[in-house]
Amino acid sequence: MKAYYQLTLAQLRLFLRNRQALFWIMLFPFFFMFIFGLLFENDRPVTYTMSIVDLDQRSISKQITQTFQQQDYFQISYDRQVETANEKLKNGKVDLVVVFPKNFSQQVQQKQLPASIDLYYNNKNAAQTRTALTIIEGNIDAVSKNMTQYQPVIKTETKEISGLRLTYLDFLVPGIIAMQIMSNNMNGVAGQIASWRERGVLRRMQGTTLKASNFIASQITARLVLNGVQALLLLLIGYFLFDVSINGSIVYVILFIILGTLTFMSIGFIIASLAKTPESAGPIAGFLSFPLMFLGGVFFPISNMPTYLQPIVQALPISHLSTAFREIMNVGTPLTELLPEVGWLCAWLVAGFVIATRLFKWE
Amino acid sequence: MEASEAIIQVKQLKKRYDGFYAVNGVSFEVQRGEIFGLLGPNGAGKTTTIEMLVGLRKPDEGTALVAGYDVLKETEHIKKAIGIQLQSTSLFDLLKVKETLEMYASFYPSHVPIQPLMEEMLLTEKQNSLVKELSGGQKQRLAIALAMVHDPEVIFLDEPTTGLDPQARRTLWEIVLNLKNKGKTVLLSTHYMDEAYVLSDRIGIMDRGKLIALDSPKNLIQSINAESAVEFKTTQTYTEHTFEGLRGVKKVVINQQFVTLYTNQLQETLIDFLQFTSDQSISFSALQTRTATLEDVFLHMTGRGLREE
Repeated sequence: MKAYYQLTLAQLRLFLRNRQALFWIMLFPFFFMFIFGLLFENDRPVTYTMSIVDLDQRSISKQITQTFQQQDYFQISYDRQVETANEKLKNGKVDLVVVFPKNFSQQVQQKQLPASIDLYYNNKNAAQTRTALTIIEGNIDAVSKNMTQYQPVIKTETKEISGLRLTYLDFLVPGIIAMQIMSNNMNGVAGQIASWRERGVLRRMQGTTLKASNFIASQITARLVLNGVQALLLLLIGYFLFDVSINGSIVYVILFIILGTLTFMSIGFIIASLAKTPESAGPIAGFLSFPLMFLGGVFFPISNMPTYLQPIVQALPISHLSTAFREIMNVGTPLTELLPEVGWLCAWLVAGFVIATRLFKWE
Repeated sequence: MEASEAIIQVKQLKKRYDGFYAVNGVSFEVQRGEIFGLLGPNGAGKTTTIEMLVGLRKPDEGTALVAGYDVLKETEHIKKAIGIQLQSTSLFDLLKVKETLEMYASFYPSHVPIQPLMEEMLLTEKQNSLVKELSGGQKQRLAIALAMVHDPEVIFLDEPTTGLDPQARRTLWEIVLNLKNKGKTVLLSTHYMDEAYVLSDRIGIMDRGKLIALDSPKNLIQSINAESAVEFKTTQTYTEHTFEGLRGVKKVVINQQFVTLYTNQLQETLIDFLQFTSDQSISFSALQTRTATLEDVFLHMTGRGLREE
C-alpha cells in the first residue's frame, strides 16, 4: 500500500515536472478543436449547391426561387422529384434541397398558415450547412414579411435526412476525448515502460521487494488522474468556448474515461513487452493508433466506413469508446442502452490485462 | 548462523550467453563483515556474477547462497537481505533526491530514517535537487543510499566509481569503508586495481568468466614474488626468452611491444638490462620502474593488462 502510494505520487510528479510533454499532451486536443472550430464555425463567404424541387410552379415559389438566384451563396440546379434531389444530397452532390410542396402558393394566398417549404440537408455536413440554413431562413423571412406587411406567413421547416441535429464540433469533441485516451495510454505507456526498461529503471526496482502488481496499479492510478483532468478540460473548453452540447450524465462520461484508460493501458503494456527497444515501441504504438484514429469514429462517423470494413471497425475498442462518448454527450443516451459498448470495452480490457500480465517483464 | 560464517557462498556458478560462458564455474566465499572485491577487466564476468547473486539473473549451472538463502529459489528473501547498486544506475531524472529515497524506502517492509541516511551519504544539501541535476559522484552516493535504505546485511556495489573524478572516487571510498565499520558485508566489483587494493579485505581476480586468483591484496602481490617491475617499449617484437637471462629477473611478460620484467633486485636488473640492450642493439623507450601492484598480479597471470580491449 505504501509502495503503491509512493509510486503513484512519483508518477504524478513525473507528469507535472515534464513540462514540455505536459504542454503538448494538453495542447494537442485543443489544437484540434481550434482548427476544426475555426474551419466549421466561421461565417465565411462560401457557396452552397442547392437543388430546388418546385412542385408548386406558381408565382410565390418562383418569387422565392428568384431571391435565391440573386444570392451569391447558392449554385442552383433543379430537379423534378424530391427523391432524385435527396439522392444527390445523400451522395454529397448538393448541400441542400429546397422543396416547394404542391399548392404552396395557394396556401400562402389563402392564408392557410403556416405554409411550409421543406428544406433538406445532410447531417454529416451539419456544421457547414448551418450557415446556409440561416441565409435561407433570412431570405424567406424577408419575402414572407414583404408579402404580409411584417406578419410572417411562411416559415421554414428544416428536416434532417437522418438522426440528430449535430454540429461537427458536437461530433468531434467526444471523438477527440476518445482519441486522447487512446494515445495517452497506449502510446504513453508503451513508450514509457519500454524506455524505463531500456534504461534499467525497472531493473533496479526489480532488485527490491516491490511487487509488479503494485507497480502496475500505481501506473494505472496516475494515468487515470491525468486522463480525467485532461478530458474534463476538453469538456469544459468545448462547452464554454465552442458550445458543444453535453446532454447526458457526466458520471457516465467519467465511467467511460476509466474504462477507456484501462483498456488502452493494457494494450500499451502489451506493446511495451513486445517491443525490443523504446525506439521501436513508439512506432509500433503509432502504427496501431493511426488507423484506429481514422477507422474508430474519431473524425468521421463509423457508418461512413465501407461495408467490408464494418466488422473490423465494430470490433475496435476505439469505436466503442468514441460511440459511447458521442451517445452520452450528444444524445444523452442512458447507460442501459450503452451496454454493448461497456461489454466490448470490458472484453478488450480483460483480454488485454491477461495478456499484459503474462508478458510483463522488468527487463 | 555463526558469527564468522560465510555470508555468501558461491559454488561453480555458470552463465551462458549465445553459446559462450560469461561466467564459467566461479566459486568463492565472502565472510560476514568483510569487503570483498571482484577485480577484472570489462567483460570478465563481474557484473553477471553479481546479477546472479542478487537474483536478477538465473544461473545456468551451480548454486549460491546469500545470507543463507538460495539464489535459485529464495530470491524474495534475498532481496530483503541485500542492497544493490547496479552498474548502470538509472533513476527517475525528474524526482528529487529525498523523494527517490522515500519511494525506494516504501518498497520494503521496513526502512531506516531518511534524514540520517542522507547525512551519512553527504546528500543532505542536495535533498531537494532533481536527480538529473546531480553530479556523477552525487548520483552514485544516492545509488548507495538506496542500497542502504532498508538496512540490509549485504551490499552489492557494481563498479561504483567508474567514470568519477578522483575527488569523487575518494569520497566514495570513505563511504564504502564506513559501511564496513557499521558491520555491513560489502561485495564490490571494480576494474581499478587501486580501488580494489584500498577497499578490499580480500580480492577475487576475474578474467574471461573465471576466478583466477583469490587472496588478500598483500598476499596477491607477494604471490608474484617480485617487489619491482621494469617496463619499457621496444621497436621490434621479442620473445620472453630474450630477457629471461637478465640478472634478478623472476618473470618476463611481453604484450606486443610492451615488456615488463619482474625482479627483487632492481639495481642489478637495471644495470644488466642497460648493458644487454646496448650489446644487442635493442632500442627501447618509455623505460620506468615501479613497485609491483595488483595490476602486475593480473599481468603476471594473464599476460594482459587490466584495462585493455
